[in-house]
Amino acid sequence: MRNMTRLIQNEWLKLTKKRSFWIPPLMLAVIGAGVTFMLYKFSTNVAEMDSVTVYLAGMLNASGLGQFVAILSIIGTAGMIAQEYAQGTIKFLLIRSRSRGQIFVSKYIVAVFYTLMMTLIAGAALYVSGGIAFGFGGTAAEWLNVLQQGAYGFVYALVYVTLTFMVGALTRSTGVAIGIGLASTMFSGIVIFREFYKYVLFPNADLSVYGTMGPPIPGMTVGFSLIVLAAYMALFIAAGYTVFRRRDVA
Amino acid sequence: MNAAQSNKMSQSNQSNQSNQPRQVGGAEPVLRLQNVTKRIGRKTIVDKLSFDVHTGEIVGLLGPNGAGKTTAIRMMTGLIGISEGDVQIAGRSIQKHFKEAIVHVGGIIENPEFYPYMSGYDNLKQAARMTDSVTEQRIMEVITLLGLQEALHKKVKAYSLGMRQRLGIAQALLDRPKLLILDEPTNGLDPAGIREMRDYLKKIAQAEGMAILVSSHLLSEVEQMCTRVVVIQNGRFVTEQHIGEQGRVGALPELQIRVDKLETARQVLEALETVQVTEVRESKSELICQTEDREVPALIDALRHADVAVYRISETKKTLEDEFLQWTGGNQIA
Repeated sequence: MRNMTRLIQNEWLKLTKKRSFWIPPLMLAVIGAGVTFMLYKFSTNVAEMDSVTVYLAGMLNASGLGQFVAILSIIGTAGMIAQEYAQGTIKFLLIRSRSRGQIFVSKYIVAVFYTLMMTLIAGAALYVSGGIAFGFGGTAAEWLNVLQQGAYGFVYALVYVTLTFMVGALTRSTGVAIGIGLASTMFSGIVIFREFYKYVLFPNADLSVYGTMGPPIPGMTVGFSLIVLAAYMALFIAAGYTVFRRRDVA
Repeated sequence: MNAAQSNKMSQSNQSNQSNQPRQVGGAEPVLRLQNVTKRIGRKTIVDKLSFDVHTGEIVGLLGPNGAGKTTAIRMMTGLIGISEGDVQIAGRSIQKHFKEAIVHVGGIIENPEFYPYMSGYDNLKQAARMTDSVTEQRIMEVITLLGLQEALHKKVKAYSLGMRQRLGIAQALLDRPKLLILDEPTNGLDPAGIREMRDYLKKIAQAEGMAILVSSHLLSEVEQMCTRVVVIQNGRFVTEQHIGEQGRVGALPELQIRVDKLETARQVLEALETVQVTEVRESKSELICQTEDREVPALIDALRHADVAVYRISETKKTLEDEFLQWTGGNQIA
């Protein structure tokens, strides 16, 4: 256990010691505040909102700032494995008394942390700016809804971060990982009305649609989507893990 | 202890005995390669390579470029799979017990690579967090041993290659390895850097009491610090040579004698039973002959009696470099 926490600490430091680490969180905060300001100024129906909680619930999911959380988290974590190869530090990492499996898992856990951190930053930026614009406060039920939408936003981002993480492990290329990760987020909006499509990752990624537009394809539910997402993520992690463990490091 | 337990124990003892190679000279080797083979596709890159390294030895793994040195080292450190054979470190198979085996190894594979945006100290901390027992005190000890105090908090991207090399050795030494593996440690270093590295490796080998395996394609760079060299070519074992051994097997000292009357001198020397003339160099008026040290005074007397003027006697030391080139067939690219 101590071994694992120290590996996680290492991975976290590798991300945060980079000077460029602060760019995505800062961008997210600025975008959050900026979007709030624009909506408050120019959108009539948003400006009439009476509390920050309603605004937060509407903005935290994938149709709001959640999209940016996903994109920036993809960019922030895509290089976690590929960079080790690019810098040559992979050898430094793998000739220690730690298994490759442990190293892979510690990296993935940090990718999850990063995504969670970005979700929280988005929430904080929206809360502060939204509170100033629409007034702070809100009922318990509203806060529960905020949590739910926040969780949906987090799941949405995490699905694509996991996909990107796998691509990074398979290709050892940060560029390819970011490219595929970002491109795949764009498929979420596309729905092919065929039975098989509900088993595809993309229409399942955004869980918030069930509360707004209804199921993308008839017969889909939140529970169904969660199972599909869990299966895909398990597949991505297993594929990345297997390749990372077996590969000859030249 | 119940019967089942003791049964299990004796079984594991037996399997240990059968797994472990016969111990030669009492001590178990720190590193043992047994018929290690690496195939990629149809190409055999390392072919049935076997050798041992014992504590206290500094062994050079030599071979021309492309001989398979780096591939062999990558197999020893578990970076790549082994197609056939096994590598054991302190009796543990790197394939079956990776963590238990690699814990005894410190290494630099190819260039010493670090996280460039972190300081030297932060990089050492990264390494320390991947060990079980390295303390802050040990980190400082290693830093002092390698003279890294002043560069400690500079970012690694500002380090010279020599400094990175030292930091590389520092991280390799952190967990007090029994075996230090250095792949081409002199690559890219200037002569002063090479000399410096050689000096602190010697120092470290004494201070820390371990075995060191150094690969190189340049014999001259390692011959001064190695106790033994293992030469490979085209992935195969070629020869093994102890360095600094007195009187290499079967070889008499070879003398080069410059005289005025070459033909007379040749006749005089050939008449002596203890001297073998191997070559006559007319152009330089020199004779090459082999004899033992104690026969040299008689040789000189004989020449003087025959009224041959001797201008110069010197030993033609065939350097290890020459032998190395001979073993590996010159500098041909295989």
